[in-house]
Amino acid sequence: MIVAAALCPGPPLLARQLSGNDEAAARLREASRIAVTEMLAAGPDLVAVIGPAQITGAWPPRARPDLTGFGGASLVAGFPGLPLSVGMGVLLLDEAGHSGPRLLRAVADLAPLPECRALAEELVDAADRVGLLVVADGSARRSLKAPGYFDERAEPYDAAVHRAVDSGELRALHALDPTLARELMAPGWPALQVLAAAFATNCPHTTVHYAEAPFGVGYLVATLVSLDNASDLGHRRAC
Amino acid sequence: MTSPGVLRLGRRSFGECDRLVMAIVNRTPDSFYDRGATWDEDAAMRRVHAVVAAGAAIVDVGGVPAAPGAEVDPREEVRRIVPFVAAVRDTYPDVVISVDTWRHDVAREACAAGADLINDSWGGWDERLAEVAAEFHAGLVCAHAGGLPPRTRPYRVAYADVMADVLERTLALADRAVRAGVDPTRIVIDPAHDFGKNTWHSLEVTRRLPEMVATGWPVLVSVSNKDFIGETLDVPVDQRLAGTLATTSVCAWLGARVFRAHHVLETRHALDMVSAIRGERPPRRTVRGLA
Repeated sequence: MIVAAALCPGPPLLARQLSGNDEAAARLREASRIAVTEMLAAGPDLVAVIGPAQITGAWPPRARPDLTGFGGASLVAGFPGLPLSVGMGVLLLDEAGHSGPRLLRAVADLAPLPECRALAEELVDAADRVGLLVVADGSARRSLKAPGYFDERAEPYDAAVHRAVDSGELRALHALDPTLARELMAPGWPALQVLAAAFATNCPHTTVHYAEAPFGVGYLVATLVSLDNASDLGHRRAC
Repeated sequence: MTSPGVLRLGRRSFGECDRLVMAIVNRTPDSFYDRGATWDEDAAMRRVHAVVAAGAAIVDVGGVPAAPGAEVDPREEVRRIVPFVAAVRDTYPDVVISVDTWRHDVAREACAAGADLINDSWGGWDERLAEVAAEFHAGLVCAHAGGLPPRTRPYRVAYADVMADVLERTLALADRAVRAGVDPTRIVIDPAHDFGKNTWHSLEVTRRLPEMVATGWPVLVSVSNKDFIGETLDVPVDQRLAGTLATTSVCAWLGARVFRAHHVLETRHALDMVSAIRGERPPRRTVRGLA
């Protein structure tokens, strides 16, 4: 079962070596650190990292991200072909000090909902107590300076994700239109489907740590703790 | 490719040690630096007078901002730049006129009106551009945009080796231009800082510019006030002159020959200093300690 999940975005600038002293990047990094730390506090036997990629796949548990393609002198080569989203999840796990078992999985950008559900079931059954680290970016079209320029539909899309996560009503994530997500350069859609499916029978207590778009890309950071576990940790029921 | 040495643009020929300023003249209401300062045609012509007086060898006329924004269709682009190119041609028969466009149909009209060089910042997106350059005996800038479509921003772009990609794409464009009939002495390659690149990539292509110079093709750099300078120094767009001139000087030292610039006089001075330090151009006057 899923004991807790952390939801984080996966921009390369989460790597300190790439973003330098940028204050907005530092705030995002700190929020992500808190989310992962809280997820780990639920005491998972295993942490499964799931993020979107071109194809659905699995990578060796000890694979590390390869950020050398983004430039910068102090980066070391990582595992070839490890998707960026999964790699950034690995980076967050490492920075939170997690040294226990882990699964590294990617879900295809174009995966239909049944495929996302099947993957979620697999992750739920991967151990008695599974921690989930879901790497899902919002729209890259949130402002005029955004990588994909401004699209007026971007903020409502990200807000819908925010509402679903904040309320714990994760089924609402299944209503997100994948075509719209692609148009809005919001690659997190399939990973959010996996998240919602993983909590299909287990409504979580949620805490949103961060929901902003400082560079025109929507970033949502949250912790989701399963209710069985939430009572142990002193959390109240959210839904 | 052996070194072509001479670069021919319009009626003029330039040697390897000539460092040319290409002055930016935007016929747009919304470009990132000048914010429409030369949108008015009289203002644009006044800028041409000023930049020619300040030492620009090339005037680069553009009608579409590089950043995404309101659509500018080919007809509107022609309206913005072609009559102006004709007016500059009439006024300055010997100044090299460049047009900043990726569209072959726009380039054709501009060349017919007197443009000498097609400055394609978007990496040959329109494959027919080289045909137009050949047809009008014009020059062509072969730039690296990492395969991005025109007017898009890089989003998490990664390269196994950014300079290898720059070389592969720009040399392929140069070869394609030669095959299309463009005079090889009128072809220039450009790493296109910021285009399809994050700041780390732009710094790296600057550092590794000698690899482009070694190909023998003349190298153009367009660094003026760009975001990689803004991020490197953490300064807004109106505080990037020092960073621009530092980058310009380094590129000049490393062998670039054409420098696209907003600040023409300052760029001319920086380039003349580099030329003097290299011993390729004497100081204008020297009496210090000599009286």
